[in-house]
Amino acid sequence: MAKLASQAPVPVFVAQGDDAPAETARLCLNSTLTIVETPRAAAILLVAGTIPASLIPNLHRLHDQLPHPRATVFWQAEPTDLLSEAVTVRNDDNLVSVLTDTRSSLLSGSHGTEADLLPDAPPNEWRGVGSHGQGGKGMMGGTPYGRPMAMTAADFRDGLELDAYTADFGPFLPMFPPGLVLTLTLQGDVIQKVSVVHLPFAGEGNAGAALLRLLGLPALAKRLLRGPSDDADFKRLIRLSGVRAAIPPGLGCAPNGSDVRERFERLTTDPGNPSKVHVDGVGLGDLLIGLEWHEAMLVLNSFDDESLRAICANTSSPELEEKNGDSMDHEGHAGHMS
Amino acid sequence: MTDIAFYALSALAIWSGWRVFRVDSMIRATFALMVSFICVGGIALLMSADYIGIATVFMMAVEMMVMGLFMVMFMMNPAGLNPMQMVHQHRFSIGAGIAAFIGLTVAVLATNLPNNPLPAGRDTLHDLGVELLGGSMLIFETAGVTLLATMVGAVVLSSRPGRFGDSDAGAVPPGLQPGGQPAGRKVEKSGGHGGHGGDSSHDMNMKGAPKSDDAPHKRHGKMPEEES
Amino acid sequence: MTFAPALTTLILFLAIGIWIAAILDAVFYRRISGQGGVSVLSPFYAAAAHLSRQRLTTEAPDRLNWYLAIAGYLAIATIGLAVVPFGPETAVIGIKTSVVLWGACESLVVVLVFLHGWSPNSPLALIGAYRYVAIGLPIMLLSMFVLIAAALPARSLDLRDIVASQEGLWNIIRQPLGLPLFLLLGLSLTLRGPFDYADSADLAGGTSVEDSGANRAGWQVARLAMLVGFSAIAASTFLGGYLGPILPGIVWLAIKTLILMAVVIGLSHLLARMPVARMLGLIWKFLLPIAFVDLLLAGLVALA
Repeated sequence: MAKLASQAPVPVFVAQGDDAPAETARLCLNSTLTIVETPRAAAILLVAGTIPASLIPNLHRLHDQLPHPRATVFWQAEPTDLLSEAVTVRNDDNLVSVLTDTRSSLLSGSHGTEADLLPDAPPNEWRGVGSHGQGGKGMMGGTPYGRPMAMTAADFRDGLELDAYTADFGPFLPMFPPGLVLTLTLQGDVIQKVSVVHLPFAGEGNAGAALLRLLGLPALAKRLLRGPSDDADFKRLIRLSGVRAAIPPGLGCAPNGSDVRERFERLTTDPGNPSKVHVDGVGLGDLLIGLEWHEAMLVLNSFDDESLRAICANTSSPELEEKNGDSMDHEGHAGHMS
Repeated sequence: MTDIAFYALSALAIWSGWRVFRVDSMIRATFALMVSFICVGGIALLMSADYIGIATVFMMAVEMMVMGLFMVMFMMNPAGLNPMQMVHQHRFSIGAGIAAFIGLTVAVLATNLPNNPLPAGRDTLHDLGVELLGGSMLIFETAGVTLLATMVGAVVLSSRPGRFGDSDAGAVPPGLQPGGQPAGRKVEKSGGHGGHGGDSSHDMNMKGAPKSDDAPHKRHGKMPEEES
Repeated sequence: MTFAPALTTLILFLAIGIWIAAILDAVFYRRISGQGGVSVLSPFYAAAAHLSRQRLTTEAPDRLNWYLAIAGYLAIATIGLAVVPFGPETAVIGIKTSVVLWGACESLVVVLVFLHGWSPNSPLALIGAYRYVAIGLPIMLLSMFVLIAAALPARSLDLRDIVASQEGLWNIIRQPLGLPLFLLLGLSLTLRGPFDYADSADLAGGTSVEDSGANRAGWQVARLAMLVGFSAIAASTFLGGYLGPILPGIVWLAIKTLILMAVVIGLSHLLARMPVARMLGLIWKFLLPIAFVDLLLAGLVALA
């Protein structure tokens, strides 16, 4: 079994930090690795670049979401205090061989799996009342583990007044620009409120590949990352895929009139030379509120890093100081194992 | 063999029906009810009523799914994280339950149920179709498609993007000449039949709209009034 | 063929089909991304890698429904394949209403994918789940019209009769609108490409975001099994199923299933996914009327 398993590509979840090595985005081109989109599918957590102190708790929460047997590899980064035993790689050349070796020794058992960093306990104690913990009085209203149920709220799109659900998203979500943490209020999958908790890291972006991946074309995304993008075959495939029809016109319109469709075209035809968008006081709220999740992700990933940072900086974020203690987002689980 | 299947399906149908009232989440209750119906559909299959049995499964799955979807939309409660009590109005429901049970039991005991086995090779599906629709099959088929098309049309007409722009942005038809007053019927100021649809839907949009959007709303909304 | 050999054929067909589907998927992916070849054993390596990892759960999941969703998806795929006739009068589930049974399978897929997203108690999975329902239900409606149209020339709701009715002329020629519309259903049932609103990249894997270890392997296998089941149904409904000269019927069915599997996988890698609202507009305002036209034409031909 272990022998068969070691023939498969190494499943790696990449947590990108500040000043991540430029090759991080191109790791997926290596056929001995698969870059997975959720920590649940990974055997190795690869920390690329420095994780700022404020995001280290998020990293630890992320770590506990990897299934056993698991290992952490720090690439051009200092291991955190809790993960001081982890493998570190300074030299770029041997990263892939270190990852493969770590995986093999995990499978053979010579490299012990890493224990949980955080206590495996609910964030708040059980506070349910009544036979089901529903609150005791009516059908509901209880706050088991300290969380009240989401309640309906006014909305400004269709008058359906669905439940408003607020949570922190980021900073390691694969469909978010690395480092970005947003507090989003969702009704259904429509974004109602947005504030920035942490700015995205500066660095060389790969917005074109990210957009292709979001549009359900991961193979073409890889091809774009590989470059050179001026091959006619690639252009024909992009045209045939109906991307132009798939991106709604006027989505994520910036003050200079460029929308996601136009930015996508530029990113895929000339990825090395993204044009700067005139931000002009536009915040994330202006761009994202009222969009569906898929559209919002397309907008977020259509900007170059510099413009996105400027847009995030323009976004009012009163909760920036507030602790995101009992957030329930994807990267926010306290890691509960069976 | 058939007997064992019948008793197993009946037991599962009753158990899942009981679970509907004992579980602590709406989604679980919904799908417990679905399982109960699927078992009943299975019993219909055993009684050689293929079409009715499978159609029960089919319709119940879709129905329960739509019901479940609305519950999640209005109660974002993944995996039943926040428990709920699924029974309410205890006294009334106990009374209704006992009355329904007695009524149905009497009905079952009083009815002279047929007991003639189906001749082998009989096409029940064909018989059922003739029994239900007779010679009007074509009319019903056409009516079914027409009704669906009508429903889609109604939703399209009442949804946000309208013929003259989004409904929450006023949706006023353009003028007959450039800059002129909007074409079409004028909306009465209040009360009258014309004002009813316009005003109430407008109110709803105002309530939900963000503050910054109020200005254009008022402008569009007032236009017909000023003219009249 | 009696029941036992038919069941053996079914299981072999499904197992080999899943294996080939996994390889085809990898081949298309690598062709388009411009990478090298694929090992024919790679699906087994991937499965072993998944199974070597622990099954994690989330904070307060609905464990029963989580497992039921995965097992049920696989079971529904198998039932779908079981109504497909492997030869004249031979199907594992040979009932007069097999097309309706397949319709019931389609609707249960929507339920099970929803449960798979609802059970893990995770916002991204839940968004994937209800988004899928919004798209899955109208697509299913569409397929009902297509299937009714295909049943009209056979004057029967039995898939065996539908195949037999294509002796002279396949349904793909008789009803050219049918197969393209039905393939869209296939993309939706198998959570692929432009109709993958459940497990998509913008939700970091959607309903399967919290799956790990054996659960993840199970879900992927079930998706591939559904692809095999769907392709066999589509091959029987539109490409004449087991009909064909010289070779035995089961071989013809396998060839046609393979071709349709390749088409579905190819479409899933080549077509971009649009936002949900746009897709809903496309389905209700454009594709559904086309399905009406398909049914109308089939009805007129049947009356003539």
